Amino acid sequence: MTKRATTHATFVIERTLKHPPAKVFAAYADLTQKAKWFGGPPEWTRSTHTLDFRVGGRESESGGPHDGPEHTMNALYWDIVQNERIVMSYEMLLGPTRISVSLGTTEFKPAPEGTTLTYTEQGVFLDGFDDAGGRERGTHELLDQLVACLNS
Amino acid sequence: MTSTTHASFIIERRYQHAPKRVFAAWSDPQAKRAWFVEGEGWDIRSYEMDFHEGGEEKSSFRFVKGEETFGEETLFSNDTVFNEIIANERIIFTYSMARNGARFSISLASVEFSAEGQGTRLVFTEHAAFFDGADGVHMREAGWQELLLKLGDHLDKQGFGQ
Amino acid sequence: MTDIAHATIVMERNYAASPARVFAAWADVDARKRWSAPADGIRIEYEAAEFREGGRDISRCIEAGNADYVAVVHYLDIRQDARIVFAEDVSHGDRRVSAALISVELSPVGARTRLLLTMQIASFDGAGMESGYQFGWNAALDNLAKEFNA
Repeated sequence: MTKRATTHATFVIERTLKHPPAKVFAAYADLTQKAKWFGGPPEWTRSTHTLDFRVGGRESESGGPHDGPEHTMNALYWDIVQNERIVMSYEMLLGPTRISVSLGTTEFKPAPEGTTLTYTEQGVFLDGFDDAGGRERGTHELLDQLVACLNS
Repeated sequence: MTSTTHASFIIERRYQHAPKRVFAAWSDPQAKRAWFVEGEGWDIRSYEMDFHEGGEEKSSFRFVKGEETFGEETLFSNDTVFNEIIANERIIFTYSMARNGARFSISLASVEFSAEGQGTRLVFTEHAAFFDGADGVHMREAGWQELLLKLGDHLDKQGFGQ
Repeated sequence: MTDIAHATIVMERNYAASPARVFAAWADVDARKRWSAPADGIRIEYEAAEFREGGRDISRCIEAGNADYVAVVHYLDIRQDARIVFAEDVSHGDRRVSAALISVELSPVGARTRLLLTMQIASFDGAGMESGYQFGWNAALDNLAKEFNA
């Protein structure tokens, strides 16, 4: 039997982007754009990524290293304010095991340079499989990929 | 422009009932309704719960003093989705609160049950995003303090058998 | 009933081959016949194969005991070693079951290739073709990796 344990953590990441809020928001709202930056490392396989971007809609992405376990993200969208805010909850599964459940808020604010993006994650990390530090590093990498994608 | 504030709180409680009984007060729709939804000053409009992973719980209730407090008839609604259920051990759920159809918060909550002597230690943790200053974390925490007291009263009324 | 179920699905692979080799495995119809059959017992036959902008493929997906699926592809945009965009409609028996816009993007990652497959699907048989695309293309993209072994 697995020893039950939870670790609760919150982290905040802020980025300034040289693009207007509408453009940054679209990189989240449209799967054809989101798929270009949101995903595992380049050597991973992605077996599926689907997105129904509306309140009550779901997103699912799964993939992993060639000979490793499948990583699956299942999200539910709770609140969307066009070009301003996206609130979603999501779970991460490693193979069949749920390793975290999180609430993620992304805010887009106009800034002189373009957009200030603030991502706040409040998460519960389960049974010792994952930790907030790893998630925060992973999220930084995703946002680096977002910036590279918007700049290209 | 929208504004969002984030906050978290933890409440720990002990009940003189085994984890199985405390958990049942969350998993059984009738029991849950009794301590979670029913209450003085509230007029229940609807309540339904489908207690399994991915299932939803929806309630709507009229605040009897809505007119004098908010100047209009006031209907609150709670939409919940259960993310994880481990019988007698853990429940993780996500929920939104809305007043007259306008969402003002989204929360992630976990409830952990562990045996302590003959009773149960319950740890409730909530992480929330509040929109536009509405219903801040202090009110929310006070709300759950009250609910977890009602849960205790409900369990005591049921007696100590089984 | 004229209900359409819309779905967008993205898949991604990283192949041990240059974009030129991956592109060639799409352009060459004999290679495509090998890797695009999703399972043993299913084979793909081409009645027409014109891999060029404005060209058309007609292929038949044949499985014993099941009516053939017939896919008609119109190539809309082809950029050598970089991208292929096509429209595909699929019929099963005498019924059209889906229409889709599909793009394949190839980009070099070191000596390897990242392939991004984006499918925007209008499905006329409920969720059936969405899961059909999920299954079929995941299997085909895995098979494609075998083209680059050794």
